[in-house]
Amino acid sequence: MFDGLILLGQGVAHFITPSGLFNVAWATLLGLTIGILPGLTATMGVALLVTLTYKMAPDQAILTLMCVYLGAIYGGSRTAILLNIPGTPANAAATLDGHPLAKQGKAGLAMGLATTSSTLGTLVGIFFLAIIAPVLSEAALKFGSYEFFWLALFGVVVSGQMTGSDTPLKGYIAGIIGLLVAMIGMETLHAHQRFTFGIPALVGGIDLIPAMVGAFGLAEILSTMKRTAIANIAPVNDRVVPTFREIFQYWKTIIRSGIIGTFVGIIPGVGEDVGAWSSYAAAKKLSKNPEEFGKGSQEGLIAAETGDNAVVSASMIPTLTLALPGSAAAAVLIAAMMIHGIRPGPMLMIENAPFLYQVVGMLLLATLANLIFGLSLTKVFIKVLSVPRERLMAVIYVLCVIGSFAITQRMFDVYVMLVFGIVGFFLREMKYPMAPLVLGIVLGDLLDLNLRRGLALTNGDPTPFFTRPISAVICLIIVFTILMSIPAVNRRVRSLFARNRGAVPAKS
Amino acid sequence: MTLSAQHEDAARIRADLITAIILIALGLAVTYLSWTMDRLAVRRIHPATIPGLVPFVLGVALTLCGSLLAFRSWKLDTKAGGVALLNLLLSWQTIRVVTVAALALVYTLGLVGRMPFWLASALFVFAFIVLFETVLADRPANLVRTLIWALVVALVAGVGVNYVFGQIFLVRLP
Repeated sequence: MFDGLILLGQGVAHFITPSGLFNVAWATLLGLTIGILPGLTATMGVALLVTLTYKMAPDQAILTLMCVYLGAIYGGSRTAILLNIPGTPANAAATLDGHPLAKQGKAGLAMGLATTSSTLGTLVGIFFLAIIAPVLSEAALKFGSYEFFWLALFGVVVSGQMTGSDTPLKGYIAGIIGLLVAMIGMETLHAHQRFTFGIPALVGGIDLIPAMVGAFGLAEILSTMKRTAIANIAPVNDRVVPTFREIFQYWKTIIRSGIIGTFVGIIPGVGEDVGAWSSYAAAKKLSKNPEEFGKGSQEGLIAAETGDNAVVSASMIPTLTLALPGSAAAAVLIAAMMIHGIRPGPMLMIENAPFLYQVVGMLLLATLANLIFGLSLTKVFIKVLSVPRERLMAVIYVLCVIGSFAITQRMFDVYVMLVFGIVGFFLREMKYPMAPLVLGIVLGDLLDLNLRRGLALTNGDPTPFFTRPISAVICLIIVFTILMSIPAVNRRVRSLFARNRGAVPAKS
Repeated sequence: MTLSAQHEDAARIRADLITAIILIALGLAVTYLSWTMDRLAVRRIHPATIPGLVPFVLGVALTLCGSLLAFRSWKLDTKAGGVALLNLLLSWQTIRVVTVAALALVYTLGLVGRMPFWLASALFVFAFIVLFETVLADRPANLVRTLIWALVVALVAGVGVNYVFGQIFLVRLP
């Protein structure tokens, strides 16, 4: 307990140096700018910035990326409030009440509420990160190939189920495509080449960073440039800093949304947008004034913004302890950690225990910077919105090319980015979610290796995959998740629950 | 639901049907390639750990999901879907997307590596801005003003990116 507190203190103190604070300042500002500009997402920002951090010390590099990630998720709320366009997909729920508040002449207050609730959401997530991560890490040491296989599958299935907005089927398809992409190259068990078709560049497989830069960079550029008109910016004439009372009256909503966001963050690959929507839905259901939701409810805005920011910190729990990314941006962070020689996973607490608490320190500093910049630089950030996207997107594409090339210095990776960008755009246009695709690429090797390793250990007998307690539980959750995505089964289960709920009082 | 949203949905359902057929073909191809993949019998590898095992399962799963999507789309598909999809493919939005993709392809495959990176980037940025602020804009901007801005942004971006990444962050550029 005290060891943890000491490590936590050391983790925060580690970055309170001139260079550390400088990195926090510029990276948070950059993250906020990325979040504010429609068409640029947190994942894209983190993926592009990996290149810039390539020569930095590992801890400073991850600090920088973390600040960009957190800044971008928070920054997107500005655009949601002022333009009615979510700056990042995570802020879509914030448009529902944020923009109506701006239209009522309360744009400043809406931004202030979004800022404070984002900060509080991150703090809730950080609290659970500091508590859960060490425990989970210790528990994960007992996991074998069987559990890791199911965990990898669980990540892809749940991510597919929860992010497939049109139908879960599309989420599953995106996940399978991601897993298939991960199958390209030399497999790790017998060093056999799969799907390389004699192309030497494919032997090493498809790198995550170029794929992500394509799927989240070029695809975003294509989506943004497809649109012809941009909405008008709402004027900001009122105060930005909310009073203590304005925030405190929603303390229940904040804690609830923070916990929901944390729960969503822990589930691999689900991401901030699901955190925001789930928190918003729960707040509306339990609110005293549900009729105000969608018409400028402060509670709705607070719930959405607390939820998505809590996901950011909580997504670090599976990322650091199991090497299963809690969100798409966390997947890039895993790749960045690998590049910088940090190996996330159950061994992290043994090999590099202070790093976990350094991450907590990074998040605390990034949150503080968000709060300070968010409340003080309102006018500056509004100016950012007036940058013409025609000029911005051209420069972003140049960065996409550099970002893909710089890691391994191969033009092949740039071509990978191009292919993923164009294919990613088409998939996105047809409502295929990108998160399961990314998660599939990240978890493909883990799934493949652990399934075959597990089968090798039992001489081909799959029984332990179903009989070991943790394996059995995860397997049951996967089966239940898949079954619930079948409309007929879903309806049946829901009606069964509804009937039972109605029957209980009657009996008593 | 608005009329344009209905058209978009109809177009997407038809596009889903086409995609589902492609996915089924891809799934079957993966299944076949995995089935015929080397079993490494010479190395006495256990059949349960063969390299083709997981790709085979994924191929089957993709075929299955593709078939379900095809069935769903076929059930929802309407005669108007084909027309709506065709209209979408011939729309102004598509022209803008194709232009971005074409510029990106020309820049990445044609310019990068054949000339200094800063010059290739500056040419790309210049062409991008000019095209989207004049020819492809809803309300075209003044041409002279656009040309000047495009030149300034292109030079600043080309030289700036080259300097920041190449000199300050010591990243090798293509």
